[in-house]
Amino acid sequence: MIEYKNVLTVCPYCGCGCNFYLQVLDGELVGILPCKSHLVSQGKLCIKGWNAADFVISKDRLTKPLMKKNGKFVEISWDEALKVVTEKLKQYSPDAVAVLSSAKCTNEENYLMMKFARAVLKTNSVDHCARLCHASTVVGLGKTFGSGAMTNSIGELEDADCIFVIGSNTTEQHPLIARYIMRARAKGAKLIVADPRLIPLTQFADYHLRQRPGTDVALLNGLMNVILKEGWEDKKFINERTEGFAELKEVVKKYTPEYVEKITGIPKELIMEAARIYAQAKSASLVYSMGITQHTTGVDNVVSCSNLALLTGNVGRPSTGVNPLRGQSNVQGACDVGALPNVYSGYQSVADENTHAKFEKAWDTELPSQPGLTVVEMMNEAAKGNLKAIYIMGENPMLSDPDIHQVKKALENLEFLVVQDIFLTETAQLADLVLPGTSYAERDGTFTATDRRVQRIRKAIEPRGESKPDWQIICALARKMGSKGFEYSSPAEIMDEIASVTPIYGGIGYERIEDIGLQWPCPSKEHPGTPYLHQGKFSRGKGKFFGIEFKEAAELPDADYPFILTTGRTIFHYHTGTMTRRTEALNREVPTGYVEINFKDAEKLNIFEGEIVSVKSRRGKIEVKVQVTRKVPEGVIFIPFHFAESPANALTNSAFDPVAKIPEYKVCAVQVEKKPSLP
Amino acid sequence: MKEFEPKIIGFCCNWCTYAGADLAGVSRLQMPPDFRMIRVMCSGTIDPLFVMEAFQKGADGIFIGGCHIGDCHYQTGNHRTKKRVAILKKILSYLGIDPRRVRLEWVSAAEGQKFAEVVTDFVAEIKRLGPNPLKRKFEA
Amino acid sequence: MIEKLKKLAKEYLVSGKVEVIFGLREKDNHLAPHIFTKVEELDSLVVSPQYPLFYTCRPSKKNIIRLIEEKYPDIKIGVIVKGCEERALIELAKRNQIEMKNIEILGVACSREEAVECKCPRPYPNHPLLGEKVEGVFEDKNIEGLLNKGWSERLAFWQSQLSKCIKCYGCRNACPLCFCQDCAMEQELWSKIGEIPPEIPMFHFIRFYHLADRCIECGECEKACPMDIPLLTISKQVRKDVKELFNYESGLDVKQESPLLTTLDEMPMKEGANE
Repeated sequence: MIEYKNVLTVCPYCGCGCNFYLQVLDGELVGILPCKSHLVSQGKLCIKGWNAADFVISKDRLTKPLMKKNGKFVEISWDEALKVVTEKLKQYSPDAVAVLSSAKCTNEENYLMMKFARAVLKTNSVDHCARLCHASTVVGLGKTFGSGAMTNSIGELEDADCIFVIGSNTTEQHPLIARYIMRARAKGAKLIVADPRLIPLTQFADYHLRQRPGTDVALLNGLMNVILKEGWEDKKFINERTEGFAELKEVVKKYTPEYVEKITGIPKELIMEAARIYAQAKSASLVYSMGITQHTTGVDNVVSCSNLALLTGNVGRPSTGVNPLRGQSNVQGACDVGALPNVYSGYQSVADENTHAKFEKAWDTELPSQPGLTVVEMMNEAAKGNLKAIYIMGENPMLSDPDIHQVKKALENLEFLVVQDIFLTETAQLADLVLPGTSYAERDGTFTATDRRVQRIRKAIEPRGESKPDWQIICALARKMGSKGFEYSSPAEIMDEIASVTPIYGGIGYERIEDIGLQWPCPSKEHPGTPYLHQGKFSRGKGKFFGIEFKEAAELPDADYPFILTTGRTIFHYHTGTMTRRTEALNREVPTGYVEINFKDAEKLNIFEGEIVSVKSRRGKIEVKVQVTRKVPEGVIFIPFHFAESPANALTNSAFDPVAKIPEYKVCAVQVEKKPSLP
Repeated sequence: MKEFEPKIIGFCCNWCTYAGADLAGVSRLQMPPDFRMIRVMCSGTIDPLFVMEAFQKGADGIFIGGCHIGDCHYQTGNHRTKKRVAILKKILSYLGIDPRRVRLEWVSAAEGQKFAEVVTDFVAEIKRLGPNPLKRKFEA
Repeated sequence: MIEKLKKLAKEYLVSGKVEVIFGLREKDNHLAPHIFTKVEELDSLVVSPQYPLFYTCRPSKKNIIRLIEEKYPDIKIGVIVKGCEERALIELAKRNQIEMKNIEILGVACSREEAVECKCPRPYPNHPLLGEKVEGVFEDKNIEGLLNKGWSERLAFWQSQLSKCIKCYGCRNACPLCFCQDCAMEQELWSKIGEIPPEIPMFHFIRFYHLADRCIECGECEKACPMDIPLLTISKQVRKDVKELFNYESGLDVKQESPLLTTLDEMPMKEGANE
């Protein structure tokens, strides 16, 4: 008999957390329906969301475990695969193994993965790609507010009087959040956009501050300088709810609009106007993303953003706040449940003795107490030969990490590499063993959207071939390695365990989140969730100011490498393209990589639209098609990093922020060369 | 200031209007030079998207010439043209593009005089209307 | 009314008049289309003017009804439709996308309030089994405002509206009558690919024109737009024009052919329209 169902689930792409239905006819995925009753998406989707069914039914999906024998992959059984992994992983000391978890997997799976690393492998070396996007947010906002997450909810943006977007191409990267910015603007809100590039939002902005890449601290200090000079700061808020103001005041003093103009290239009048608009708004929201975080000064940038919000009292009320937009469907969740080397779930420090004891008791096993390695450190250690084996779940560092030539060397230097993914990615191709996982449509679990909303994803179709949900694979491995505490019958049971050891998730259970989800902190079963943070009191008590001096990026253009390269994404693709490049509608729009170059620079170099040029940095060289444009200013080029044939990350600098260890994707020095014409 | 020289695209059917234009030429009738002609087999092949594409690429006016109703070489091709152009003009007007920038005329192979007249008149009209407003985005 | 509908659906199922019922179901406070095969399931049956039943499934680009018909050519389907959905079905059948022979229509009329909310000109199916035929909504403030303005103001309005477009193709994807295998909106020939906003007004013009004789004014295009572009404003007006020019309305009768596919002899056009 005919069976037709619509299964409500969360979009697997960005962190907006849009919901849609997977249309299933007789067990076959036939399409996607928007969900009109969902809070954020309200029946609307972006092009990626509308086409999120394509890659699920792609022919390239992995269906069987693969093992590399004589340089070629052969299919093997699950039994054999688990046996090999178990035997191999058992050989190494805890210091020689590491685990990469995934922001594409559910909270439950990330929790299990970090439990696997800590309780089974006895190492804290577990990390995931949040290191590469918002590590500086977790550190920065942790320092100033006490909680490294988006302070307010997405929908609240609509009612702000002023929205300050800095380092976020919201329209392309978080289209459904841009919807609320546009709606706010339609209601009369002022929009300030700070971005070196012309992005879709700039044409609607009241003020476009076009800073030189890597000078955000100077810009933010400049705004604060103006605010203090004019006396627009919220004195009551500063007195009652913050500390460290004197330090900030001292540092900001010298960042006069004239001085900042020299550093950033933004006319001083614009800085003064923008400062006035932001400071005088009743409720001003600050929205930022990778343009702030992916710098060697990432933490400084984030702290400066929160300084600005604290100074004007724009925290702890609706439609205000400092709002980092998280890039992946569950990158917020993966951080929340502790897939990080220094914290357990709920950001409970590994180094803290009480926490350590609590988890040892909860999991009934001994746990390591030294913080582990971060992604970039793992690659460095692997290259040196100190790290022997890595277990990667659903990540593709071969395209996503900085300086990928180095990454390749590191991964090839490993004695054993297991990759668990849904496609044979660039990274999986280097693996000794590949385990087939399932896509979002084939499993149950929860994703946490960027505004801390924990939502259900639901299984719509059966896994392809012999592929298995990641949580089952991890459990099977753990059991095979002789560990207890991995006997779960369903993801719901795992979530109950997460709730029991994680105060901020304490009240979350599947029975409460079937319809709209809950926003953490949600400490108890009666707690209604928290739409905006820091109401009345900051998570750390008082909001803290830090005086931050401007520092230049790690690598600046010079005579040999005269251009600044900045990297990013387009609306039509997603990260390493593993999913989007297998989607016809998206591939048609942007089939391959390109470099945006200003028309004046193009003229000087005598290069034309569509021409293939070589772009070279101190670390690598790629060939890529030219797009002559006004979008980038003179002296800056932009390359999206999705494309394996022109990988922007062959060029980028792996220099990282000293605290957050986030690499500097947004600034490095490169040279653009016209290719010699054929004789 | 230089006088506005419009760019006008004329889609003319092979059997009637194009032949009519030919006759006008052979008869040495005076016509303004702003007219760029594209010969098509039937006015019924003109997709309104062609017209919009021409506007998008900077044309100031678009002329569509076909056989008189009843004379179509393909029986009823021009019936469809007539209906489509009616709809097209409506949509253009809602979008804010003056529908007078599109003109549909029936000109037979024998009507060289009429061809010269409608072209002269159309060019004058476009000159009055000024440059295509969509063109502005190409400047600056 | 919903109780009456459940009773009616139950009768249809029990009597064997239909084997399945296609309608809206409520689950966890969310509404979605569902196929009801058992009487017990009908408890969760709901009707809502905001939620359409039929979408073109992508990537196959076939309507869900067609997918079902292809798999189960002999199954009798009872479909609970509102006015707009019935028009969609009729228009799809007219254009050989689905067959009506196995479809049993259970028509439900919307209330006047619901019609106002949807700006619906015909909030009832041809033969409603439930509800009364109430008057539709014809006036549209958007249109009136625009038609009072000059060319340059209209153009400026649309340029600013359309420049918000993020090329999600939601207007097309949500449209029950956008089923072309090769969609002109996707072709580089007409609108440059890989760029947002897409070319203005070409990208949206394609839909306005292609939907001129098909649009059934369900408004799903506008409701699907993440940037709140008032797309229905133009489609509504064009539909009015088609009615005026050809005395034709889409979605009323399977046998009535579109004026744009027929000759002037078969379906004449009001004179003076080309001027």
